[in-house]
Amino acid sequence: MQLVAHLLQFLVAALGIVVMGAFYSHSDDGEALRSVPKRYGVFVASCLGVVAVMLVVQWIWV
Amino acid sequence: MATVLTWLLPGAGHLYLGRVPIAVAAFVLVQGLYALGLFLSDGMTFEFLDPELRGPFATALTPEAGNLGGLIYQLRVYGFGPESPRVQPDTIMLGTWLTALSGMLNVLLMVHANCTARGTQATRATGLVAAAWLVPGGGHWLQGRRLRALIVFVLLGGLLAAGTLLAEGSNLSRERHFYYWSGQFLAGAPAAILEFVSGRPRITGEIPNADVGLLYGCLAGLLNVLAMLDVFGFAEGVPGAEDEPAQAPASVQPEGAEG
Repeated sequence: MQLVAHLLQFLVAALGIVVMGAFYSHSDDGEALRSVPKRYGVFVASCLGVVAVMLVVQWIWV
Repeated sequence: MATVLTWLLPGAGHLYLGRVPIAVAAFVLVQGLYALGLFLSDGMTFEFLDPELRGPFATALTPEAGNLGGLIYQLRVYGFGPESPRVQPDTIMLGTWLTALSGMLNVLLMVHANCTARGTQATRATGLVAAAWLVPGGGHWLQGRRLRALIVFVLLGGLLAAGTLLAEGSNLSRERHFYYWSGQFLAGAPAAILEFVSGRPRITGEIPNADVGLLYGCLAGLLNVLAMLDVFGFAEGVPGAEDEPAQAPASVQPEGAEG
């Protein structure tokens, strides 16, 4: 249950980061908002990649 | 050059650009605010830092770093205080807010110096960036980008409110969370209002989601920097009509150099 809560908390923070990043990259609102789903997916997938690397490192060395 | 000079000493950039009245007024306002803050806090702001965190660059991530001259003065005169703890003045929180505010004001002054040198609308751009800091989305709103303004306000305001709820208000004290507070300060008036209205509640037990709350509050402030940059970039794209491009004195202006 705690894992689900943490995941939700991460997804909320990630949404803020991605939306603001999209606004910073595009001056047109529509263009920025349309780019959010793809950016969000890439951001979350990249974070999962980092988590995977950290788990592997932990498994090997700790 | 004007921007860097302003960072080092408020008003120096405008003096370099030949804007003497603005330079004098800016120096008096920004340094006066810092001096008042130091007086009210007795220079104890950096004593909030845990001893193991104190070092030459420990204060680089504070709002005071926006006024480098003031920061260096404070570090040289007051530093991190004596080794033994001392009694804090009643006005210490107000004092630390004023020194932080001085740093932010100097950043806005840097924006003004930069735009003046480049010949863009200095006063308007500075006002917009100030509005963007003061109220997340405020700068966008004034630029007529209403949808973006609302989304930014709801997003960043929501993050700050959610962070404060999750941390049960423990995020609202600079003394308790020195660096997270610095990030949160960048969220402007909402962070200030929350802090002063809450009275910085005491912690009476374990707070399960304190870490997430701290992260959310700090994230709101840091993301507001992106919003401020967005506002500045948009304002900079508008050709200057209000101010004439300033010229540095011929004796100090290298060939082909711009402010």
